[in-house]
Amino acid sequence: MMWKDKYLIGVEKVDQQHKELFKNLGDFIKLVQNKEVSWEDRLDKAKETLDFLQGYVVFHFDDEEKYQESIDYPNIEEHKQAHKAFKEGINEYVEIFKEGGFTEEKMQEFSAKLMTWLIMHVGKMDQKIGEYVKSREVNA
Amino acid sequence: MKAEYVNSFFAATQDVFRLMLDLEVKRGDLKVIEGLTSSKDANIILGVTGDLKGTVFFSFPKDMTLKMVNIMAGMEMDEIDVFVSSALGEVANIIGGNAITNLTNYNYICDITPPQIIVGQHKSISMANEKALVIPMETEIGEFDIAIFLPEN
Repeated sequence: MMWKDKYLIGVEKVDQQHKELFKNLGDFIKLVQNKEVSWEDRLDKAKETLDFLQGYVVFHFDDEEKYQESIDYPNIEEHKQAHKAFKEGINEYVEIFKEGGFTEEKMQEFSAKLMTWLIMHVGKMDQKIGEYVKSREVNA
Repeated sequence: MKAEYVNSFFAATQDVFRLMLDLEVKRGDLKVIEGLTSSKDANIILGVTGDLKGTVFFSFPKDMTLKMVNIMAGMEMDEIDVFVSSALGEVANIIGGNAITNLTNYNYICDITPPQIIVGQHKSISMANEKALVIPMETEIGEFDIAIFLPEN
């Protein structure tokens, strides 16, 4: 289980989407690391999960940015930049896979990086949204 | 070698370990060494460019490396494979990035180059035989080193 409750920001919809992201990334890592099954037999499922994750990241970031707009979140531009860099990081690997093939090693490398990026983004950057929401409630 | 570098890298390591691994980090006594050899199993080299030019070298023992990735991924790891070494490289990269941000507080503007990962002990790492400052780091899952070689321009 990759998810930790300390990642909660206190906004239910965002938290649910984060949990979904961690769950799917966890499943992806389990699949990529399941060396008892040949890579050939894991490849289709790995591609499918990669597609889903890529799509879900875009969906979640869009949704989260809309939420930030709705609460007049002051750091929205900085946060949008971080989302953009995150998506570019994924896209770079999608290109690598297209050109060099979906090798087990590249998939391992990609899933490991995605894991660290997600932990940092949700564990650090997104926490500031939660802090802002709480500070508004206190001042309201 | 200046306290600013040590403080910047130590603070960044503490922040990243707390956030990503739920671990506290203590600093051991600083050492000065000449020439670098990887004394531990998983090693990461970051290049530094800008106001400071040089190399930062992270060195982790195998057990600790596996445990770190276990904490992040929530699953057991039994060998330093590409998944484990990439995750470790990225943790070092994030520490380096945060340290570079901390260095701006001391008016050093720098950048880091992508991590180079070396798995295996006793490989020598060419740093022109200059002196490097080693910060030993202690956590409850093991000890690791960060060696800093940053001559000022």
